[in-house]
Amino acid sequence: MSNIIKILAVASGVTAGVLGATPALAAGTAAGATITNTATLNYQVGGVAQTAINASNNITVDRKITLTVAEVGSATTSVAPGSSAQVTSFTVTNSSNDTIDLGLTAAQLSGGTAAHGGTDNFDLTGLGMFVDTNGNGSYDAGTDQAVTYLDEIAADASRTVFIVGNVPLTSANGDVAGVTLVAQARSGSGAGSQGAVITETSGANTAAMDTVFADAAGPASGDGARDGKASDDDDYTVSAPALTVTKQSRVVSDPVNGSTNPKLIPGAVVEYCIVVQNAAGSASANSVTISDPLPAQTSFVTASSFLNGTYTGSTPTGTCNLDGTAGGSVAAGTLSGTLGTIAAGTTRTLYFQVTIN
Amino acid sequence: MRIFLTLLAILAPSMAFAANNVTLSSLVFVEKAVPDGAGRKHIVLEEPKSVMPGDRLVFILNYRNAGRLPASDFVVTNPLPAAVVYQGGAESAQVSIDGGRNWGTLPALRVLEPDGRWRSARAEDVTHLRWVLKQAIPAGAFGKLSFRGVVR
Repeated sequence: MSNIIKILAVASGVTAGVLGATPALAAGTAAGATITNTATLNYQVGGVAQTAINASNNITVDRKITLTVAEVGSATTSVAPGSSAQVTSFTVTNSSNDTIDLGLTAAQLSGGTAAHGGTDNFDLTGLGMFVDTNGNGSYDAGTDQAVTYLDEIAADASRTVFIVGNVPLTSANGDVAGVTLVAQARSGSGAGSQGAVITETSGANTAAMDTVFADAAGPASGDGARDGKASDDDDYTVSAPALTVTKQSRVVSDPVNGSTNPKLIPGAVVEYCIVVQNAAGSASANSVTISDPLPAQTSFVTASSFLNGTYTGSTPTGTCNLDGTAGGSVAAGTLSGTLGTIAAGTTRTLYFQVTIN
Repeated sequence: MRIFLTLLAILAPSMAFAANNVTLSSLVFVEKAVPDGAGRKHIVLEEPKSVMPGDRLVFILNYRNAGRLPASDFVVTNPLPAAVVYQGGAESAQVSIDGGRNWGTLPALRVLEPDGRWRSARAEDVTHLRWVLKQAIPAGAFGKLSFRGVVR
């Protein structure tokens, strides 16, 4: 801090370029600046010019602490279960008329409504705060530095701050984790260290520069209006596949009855259909691998397995359509096959036949 | 913010000038909007205890001829502080936008824009105010000049 700039009006000879310029700054005249107004009176008495008279007064500009924290963008951060270093971004701005430090606190909601409407029901792990060191607006691990405060932020300057955390593998589709970032005005006590919390001047005006808080209330708990703090919230929403697996079987034929009312006698052919459904509104599932140990009393019918078929009706009473592509293999008594990407709201099957020994 | 009145001659008439006893004082007030409790706000002038960027200021210059002879060719010149933007309120004054070299009314003064065009001066261009009183100030007479500004 101690950024006291004296603005002294000069009685004459001030260039128009300086005085005529209207700064575009929101913060305005620096805290502690002295505004001196001087008027000069010239006059004559009896036709004789008299000594000019000056009159002046000084006022000192107070320190107005205004700061804001604003989420970058207005959408939730979509994350997958088990993913690491997931980012929410905030812009922290010092609109005060003084250089200050900004203490930072990242917190997680504990229940309640998150920033984008969902209900908070899980926490991230390893939560950290990073400043956008290289100023490119996106989090770069190893480049952007971990911070607990922003040092020596000039009037009207801002920084991008990232909250970074890991998503537990146990989280499910639609789970929401709300986070908040709080910035608190602290004295710009010198570069390299965090200054003391700035307090508002209480009671009557003092001869020195006074401090007045002019910040608005924020969504974080404990961030009221005019408390030298600012905050905003954001959230993470888990986007995961919601898979259900159903297995159904049907006797196709037997050696005695053929395909008419076949019975489960030795030599009968049985078809199996493994149905994988991905619920609507969830994330696509990639590389879904199915492993099915074949019963010891059965033998796999060579080249009878088909992948990625469709399914008509609802499990377990629907029909497994024979429209897949040949695929899958048997090794050590286990049939395995890999289905393609299963988008939300779609169903894919693995179909195969065995004979009863 | 304490006001330092270096020449508050009206309140201290003993500080008279040896020759002619003409005095001038400069005062500044802050315009504050004070809620009246009925949902409306009144504008009041306060001592400049709390001054922030954007606050509206009212400058008042009091003069008095405490001598025994009339004072003529009475000219009061007030350069604007660098941190204050003129906001009008001194329609009887001449203004300058070039540090006091040329004087006139706002519409009469021209400003060269960066794009090479000229435009009429605006209040924020003003650097100096000057009141030229045509009539002599009789002995014992007093008066008040004022203008408005806003803290940058």
